[in-house]
Amino acid sequence: MDENKIESLKQEALAAAAAASNADELEQVRIRYLGRNGVLPAMMKGLKDAPPEARAGLGRAANDFKVSVQAAVEDRKSGLTSARQAGPAFDLSLPGRWRGVGSMHPISKVIEDATRIFGRIGFTVAEGPDIETAYRNFEALNTPAHHPSLDPGDTFWLEDGMLLRTQTSPVQIRVMERRKPPVRVITPGRCYRRDTTDATHSANFHQIEGLYVDAAVSLGDLKGTLEYFIREMMGAGVRIRFRPHFFPFTEPSVECDFSCHVCAGNGCRVCKNSGWIEIAGAGMVDPRVFRKVGYDPEAVTGFAFGMGVERIAMVKYGIQDIRMLYANDLRFLEQFR
Amino acid sequence: MKVPISWLREFVDFDDSAERLAERLTMSGTEVEGIEKVGCSCTGVVVGEVLSVAKHPRADKLSICRVGAGDREYRVVCGASNFKAGDRAAFAPAGAVLAGGLLIKETSIRGEFSEGMLCAEDELGISDDHSGIMILPAAAAPGSALQDIVGEPETVLNIEVTWNRPDCLSIIGIAREVAALCGGRLKMPELHAGLGPRKIREFANVEVADSAGCPRYTACALEGVVVGPSPDWMQRRLHLCGMRPINSVVDITNYVLLETGHPLHAFDRDLLRGDRIVVRRAVAGEEIRTLDGETRKLHTGVLVIADGEGPVALAGIMGGEGSEIRDATTRVVLESACFDPGLIHSASADLGVASESSRRFERGVDVTAVGWAGRLAAGLMVEHASASASPGSTDVWPVKPQPRRIRCRYGRGRDLLGMRISDGEMADIFVRLGMNVDEKDAGGCTVTAPAFRPDIEVEADLFEEVARVHGLGEVASAPPRSALVPESDDVEERAVAECRKTVMALGFSEIVNYSFVSAALLDLFGKGNAGGRLVLPNPVSSDYAVMRDSLVPQMVETMGRNAAHQVPDVLFFEMGRVFGVSDGASIEEGRLCMGLSGKAGRVEGSIRTPATAEEVFLRIKGAAEALGAALKTGRFSFRSEDREWTEPGWCVMVELAGAPVGVIGLVKSALRREWRFAEPVGICEMSIAPLIANCFSSPVLSDIPAYPSISRDVAMIVDDSVTHEQVVSAIRAAGPPELTEVLLFDTFRSESMGPGKRSLAYTLEYRSGVRTLTDEEANAFHDKVKEALRSGLKAEIRES
Repeated sequence: MDENKIESLKQEALAAAAAASNADELEQVRIRYLGRNGVLPAMMKGLKDAPPEARAGLGRAANDFKVSVQAAVEDRKSGLTSARQAGPAFDLSLPGRWRGVGSMHPISKVIEDATRIFGRIGFTVAEGPDIETAYRNFEALNTPAHHPSLDPGDTFWLEDGMLLRTQTSPVQIRVMERRKPPVRVITPGRCYRRDTTDATHSANFHQIEGLYVDAAVSLGDLKGTLEYFIREMMGAGVRIRFRPHFFPFTEPSVECDFSCHVCAGNGCRVCKNSGWIEIAGAGMVDPRVFRKVGYDPEAVTGFAFGMGVERIAMVKYGIQDIRMLYANDLRFLEQFR
Repeated sequence: MKVPISWLREFVDFDDSAERLAERLTMSGTEVEGIEKVGCSCTGVVVGEVLSVAKHPRADKLSICRVGAGDREYRVVCGASNFKAGDRAAFAPAGAVLAGGLLIKETSIRGEFSEGMLCAEDELGISDDHSGIMILPAAAAPGSALQDIVGEPETVLNIEVTWNRPDCLSIIGIAREVAALCGGRLKMPELHAGLGPRKIREFANVEVADSAGCPRYTACALEGVVVGPSPDWMQRRLHLCGMRPINSVVDITNYVLLETGHPLHAFDRDLLRGDRIVVRRAVAGEEIRTLDGETRKLHTGVLVIADGEGPVALAGIMGGEGSEIRDATTRVVLESACFDPGLIHSASADLGVASESSRRFERGVDVTAVGWAGRLAAGLMVEHASASASPGSTDVWPVKPQPRRIRCRYGRGRDLLGMRISDGEMADIFVRLGMNVDEKDAGGCTVTAPAFRPDIEVEADLFEEVARVHGLGEVASAPPRSALVPESDDVEERAVAECRKTVMALGFSEIVNYSFVSAALLDLFGKGNAGGRLVLPNPVSSDYAVMRDSLVPQMVETMGRNAAHQVPDVLFFEMGRVFGVSDGASIEEGRLCMGLSGKAGRVEGSIRTPATAEEVFLRIKGAAEALGAALKTGRFSFRSEDREWTEPGWCVMVELAGAPVGVIGLVKSALRREWRFAEPVGICEMSIAPLIANCFSSPVLSDIPAYPSISRDVAMIVDDSVTHEQVVSAIRAAGPPELTEVLLFDTFRSESMGPGKRSLAYTLEYRSGVRTLTDEEANAFHDKVKEALRSGLKAEIRES
């Protein structure tokens, strides 16, 4: 017995396996070469008698014989099996059986995106009740008692003197009341203002506000943070700009615009030909707000910002009418998978 | 605030175009919302006299006019009908060019020759009015250029003034901003030189009974007044700013209001009973008929100007008819005063009346300039209403305000703003804004806030001035910094997000509805809780009058609306808050609602077969159970109990550890008819807090079984009154500790069993933790279970 002999036996066995035309013939091949009294056991027995220096080579060849012939027999067996299965082939184009996955409402989607984007720079989420005190919604935010936003024409006041919050800023107050600086939170939530509903206004709407308080926080930090967020949200190419504005709770106060993501700032229908889209109100927290919550305005500074969730959704997804977001038409919603 | 550029130029010089100026103003916080070109921007349009009007022979809506325009007569076909023969109108003869660039030509309209066009205001670029042709005053000379009547075109800035800047509600206030931005010098108007050569008695009978409500009151007496139309240029400026000219005296008060921001009021002195003025709170029940023709009942929260007998004006808001300037007025008392912003605001809101005056008083006017504004107006009355006036005025001003002196630390300003700006530049900005700067040293300076800037109170306000005038574009953006936040307590928010994702994975799509609904909708679903509802005192409409106390009504309504849009099979969920009143206090709670209509969620089976009640109920219940499993709530238990909105016998309370956490049910057929649902509608509503309480708990691991299990089936016929839950309880009670699993695999009914009976079949799994069970042992366990079912539940065990 030498390696050449084993190799020729292997070729012979492979040819026999391939030539088997039914299961019985194949079984005969298997028995002849791999069976208890077949070629393989004899080969293994012969190994013992071989000179020691040839044993390793012969062992490898015998093993190769075993693996190859076994595989050939298995292959042929499955070939014979499928060939035996006559009749029409299964229609593989039939629809698969599955249960659809639901979609997330665009308002939730924007909040989820914002939570993730801000989460990466260390902002956590804080929430508060929809029913708020006038103190937290207005007074603690340095809003004068005769500011028009307090009017019953603008704010939903309740019988018990509470109100439906007009902004999520009271959550910032709640957070500062229970924590010492540094503070870094975003506060998504539902808000209410007595607006007449039209294509861009809704008496029930959502906001995401953010607050960062620490030693030596500057307007430049605010700009960098909003720049990061808006690029993540609207696309890497957009630029932002600040315009001065007025909010009672920040000083200085700014409005933040970003260069239109549709026309790259050249002017189009989406940005009303201005090249800019208003996205957020922001500013440096007014020292009078810090005093209300017991922070020392000499020791810390901070920025705050607020954005309309519906507005972001409308700009990002090209939704023309805010009422689409509350119509809950499945044909609209299921596109937000 | 509308600001004509030509008026602005009276007070400040600047080179910028209107567009560039608008940009500068906007980028410094005075937002220019629009630039309007007002006035006739057409060429060749003249005054035409309509000589005759005749019907067009072939068009009902057209007429044929003869129009005289000085040199000759024209034949014109016209489509408007707001004029008659004898009227003067804007006429564009052939060759004229209209505002939009349209060249007028001789033409034929429905077969009739026309040599020109009678024009509407929009065609002339004067306004957007297209309701008819523009009728001109009867005195206009036919043939003269239209520009002579309506003036040269004018550019007007439309400015949105933020609430903190009452000073910008005036031409001079905007001029001051322009001066600061463009480097020009502010030129203040000069008082009329004709004030006072003839000494007349000042109006002295002023009593201020509420000096908190009225910190300063000045009155100026004018004699020999001739009331007539004000000069054309003044009328034109009032028009440009959106005010209607009335007469010379009233127009002058309005003109000064627009120019200086100081509201004034003129009384006919002969109509002031007792020749006196009292500034006081209204007596409850007092009435006044205001200039808008409304009779208003007053209360003590309203400040009034009264004469010897009663109120003659709502202080700072609107005058009364009783002392109104008439054509016959010859003696005028001119009021220039300052009122408390809060008082004016609340009175204006309570009475539902607002005016240009109240808009300014409620934001705060400059108390130090009140007298000056009054004298400015008096001077104009001398000039344009033939009045004689004394140079002084009665001035009741008991408490003068202390100037606000604020320290500005340059370094802190630069740090807060993240701006490179020198000390000198900062101080210069304050000066340009009309502020006094002193005590300058290396660290900072002291700024005196001008009286016209009530918004400048603390150092941060000064930094804002620096930021907006220097330019926010100069703020260097710093990349996000990320020091660690010592605590993060947003577990609940993250758990809610987890819950949302899980419900979506179960196939449900998210909806978002308003928090407020109509009482009628809630009533449809049951009036049992009507007393506990949170009702809005001032809703936007009755459709949104009540805060929802459940997510179910809007869920069903939403599914109904989708069904009406041919989307009858839906899986929806909403996560939101519900509200109520408990012991007089408003309360709220987070809820999850899942809704399933029709064949939605059916994985197999024909889409043509209607869904059965069983299918829908078990599907929605299964969703709740799957959600509970995913969020690790522990096993729910269910207790049958109907709700007002559910089909009888098809509702269960969901409980966790004996406490109710939600409800699962099928919507009753009366409600289904309301929205025309053809198939069953399943609803599950749960409180979110108990659902997510355990969501992030770590699993407590147990060993993977080391020994094989043995399965035994048991099938039985039981009464309908016996529930699956009872069977499982009985099996578990009778089974040994080795009983590890009880699974229902079949239920059915057949005639052979008889009515009121059904068959239930279970697979039980037995396994020991310490050794391999023998068949004999398993059989013994199983026999005991069967015996318990026989004796406990009267079950007939089906032996196969």
